[in-house]
Formats: sequence, structure tokens, C-alpha cells
Amino acid sequence: MSGNGASASKTVRKLHELGFTHALMIPDSESRLLYEALENDPEIDLITPCREGESVAIAAGLWTGGLKPLLVIQNTGLMEAGDSLRGCGVGPKVPLRMMVGWRGYGGATAGKLPIDSAYTFTEPLLQAWRIPTWRLMSDDDLGTLELMDQTAAETSYPAAVITGYGFKP
Amino acid sequence: MIERMELFRAVAERRTNEIVVMTMTATLQWPLVSKSDLDFDFLAFGMGHAADFGLGLAIARPERKTIVWKGDGGILMSLGSLVTLARYAPENLVVFLLENRSYEMVGGQELPPRADFVELARASGFEGGGAAGKGKVERIDALEAFQDALPRILTEAGPHFIVLPVTNREKLPPVNHSDHAGRIRTLRKALNVS
Repeated sequence: MSGNGASASKTVRKLHELGFTHALMIPDSESRLLYEALENDPEIDLITPCREGESVAIAAGLWTGGLKPLLVIQNTGLMEAGDSLRGCGVGPKVPLRMMVGWRGYGGATAGKLPIDSAYTFTEPLLQAWRIPTWRLMSDDDLGTLELMDQTAAETSYPAAVITGYGFKP
Repeated sequence: MIERMELFRAVAERRTNEIVVMTMTATLQWPLVSKSDLDFDFLAFGMGHAADFGLGLAIARPERKTIVWKGDGGILMSLGSLVTLARYAPENLVVFLLENRSYEMVGGQELPPRADFVELARASGFEGGGAAGKGKVERIDALEAFQDALPRILTEAGPHFIVLPVTNREKLPPVNHSDHAGRIRTLRKALNVS
């Protein structure tokens, strides 16, 4: 697996193609450029809650009402949002589309110590929830967004791409 | 103080096409006065997040009001939600905060006694806030005052955050254990969402 991060502008173009209406996102250092691109985007409404548990519940409400939200959520936020994801996504089979920032991936795969525990538990956590995942590590992987989107629709269940690097412009 | 069932009856009598999201003890008693596919039982969907779910619904369905019956213990589980509501809530969201100062559903344990939910909402920017800057925060202490205010609350632009101190003399019915995915499907069908 190679990659050094996807382009924020190309990612947003792909989200347009897939018909996303809203992005729920709390900024973090790796996704900062994606946040700025969405903040300035006229087609996708950006909602910035205070914590990720809110994001999940708001997204479930948006989807139930007929819209198409994307959750952009760092792995640390994913861990905070566990009960909300269980209750508003996994349990009621709401097809939440997620982009999970894999904090710690770059350092861990480069052999740097100490290993960030957020890195260690990200994939096992998603697997425990039986959420299918794809890795979005560069522009070459932008097609994984479509796979994630289709899978969520077909299974009526959450699906996620995991981003291991910070976004480029 | 207002007896909770009287509150529910007052809203049920006035209610037309509004979505009603409820959680905790409201899920036990609201169905005694309302049988509608636009009622949504949020119990066990995510502790503390009923109003967040209602926010998403209200944004998605601007043609009708979304009412949330929210508990005071629940609001303490996600206080940040107040700030998010104060920033994004659209004009059609009504949050009725049922203030009984206890975790009634699990035994009536006391809430932090000095927490002031009106002031918390105001300090979060709700008054004059929301997506269109029309947010309103009120405390209504008596049934008659609530009945007088209800036609206005259900028609004027909000969002509204209404604190309602309540008592309950009624025996609580059992918990609804219906399928969670089915609850979502029923609401989407009622909203004509494919």
C-alpha cells in the first residue's frame, strides 16, 4: 500500500459526483485542507458539531429525512462516538457513509515509537462493528469512495473509507 | 410544575403534521395519546442525542416542524449539542425539555441541583441564534400558560428550546422493544422517502 494523501479538491469533486448533500466534520490536523475545501464549497453543506457523537445522530436524522450526509471523523472521534454509531447506525441499519481519519498511521508504518493507540485500535474497532472499510491513501484510491457509497446503499449499513495521510490541496 | 401527561395531551390535541421524536420516559407515555407514523421512538438509539437526530430531521424536512421531547438528564449527556443547535437549528425545530431533575427512567436519582437549563441554552447562543437567528428560549411553568403558548410555538419561526418543569403521577407503561430498523423505515415511509 502506497500513498501520501489524497487531494482535498479532487475528493470534494468525487463527493459531488456521488451526490452528498452534507458533510459533518470536526476539523483535525490531518483533514484540515478537506475541511477548508468543504467550508468553501457551495454544493455540500458543512456542519461542525462539538463532538462526534452528535455528528452521527445528526447524520442519521438527515438520512432518515431523505438527504445524503457524509461523516468525516478522526479515529479518536470515532471512539468517542461509539454509542451513537451503535444506536444510530449499526443497530437500526442506517447506511452512514464515513471517512475515518487514521491518526497514527504515518508514524506507525514508518516505525516511529511510541505507537499511537488510536492507530492500533482503528481497524479492529470498525471490524468489531462489522463495518466494511477501504483505504484511501492517495488520489489513486478515490474510487474507494464510490465502493463505500455503493456498499452502504446496497447493504443499508454503515461503510467507511480510512484515510492514513493528511489531505493535500 | 406541569403534570407530564397533561402536557402530552395538550400537544397531541394541537399536533397536525409534525414529526415527534421522543426519548426515555416520553417513549412510554407519548404513545398513550398519539398513534402516528410520524412519531419516532429514539430510546436506545444513542444516549443524549435525540435532539441531534431531530436537528437532522428538521434540516431535511423544512416543510414541517420537528418536535423533540427531551429529558434533562439526556441533555447533560451531550451539553455540546446545545451549542450545535444554537448554531445550526432551522426555524422548524422545537425542543421541549422535560425537566424533572432526576434520572426517572432508572430510579429517580437526582440531577446536579444547580444546573439551569434555560441559562445553559442561552449561554450556548440559542436565544437569537439557530440557522436564521430566530432562536427562542423559554421556561413555561404552568399548564395553562403552555396551552396558551402552544399555538404560537407550533406556527412561528424558531428554533424553540422550551424548558417545562414536570411531575408524573401516572404508572409508566413498559418499554417498547420494537425493531429499530423498522422504526426508521416507518418514519421514512411516512415522509415519502424512498
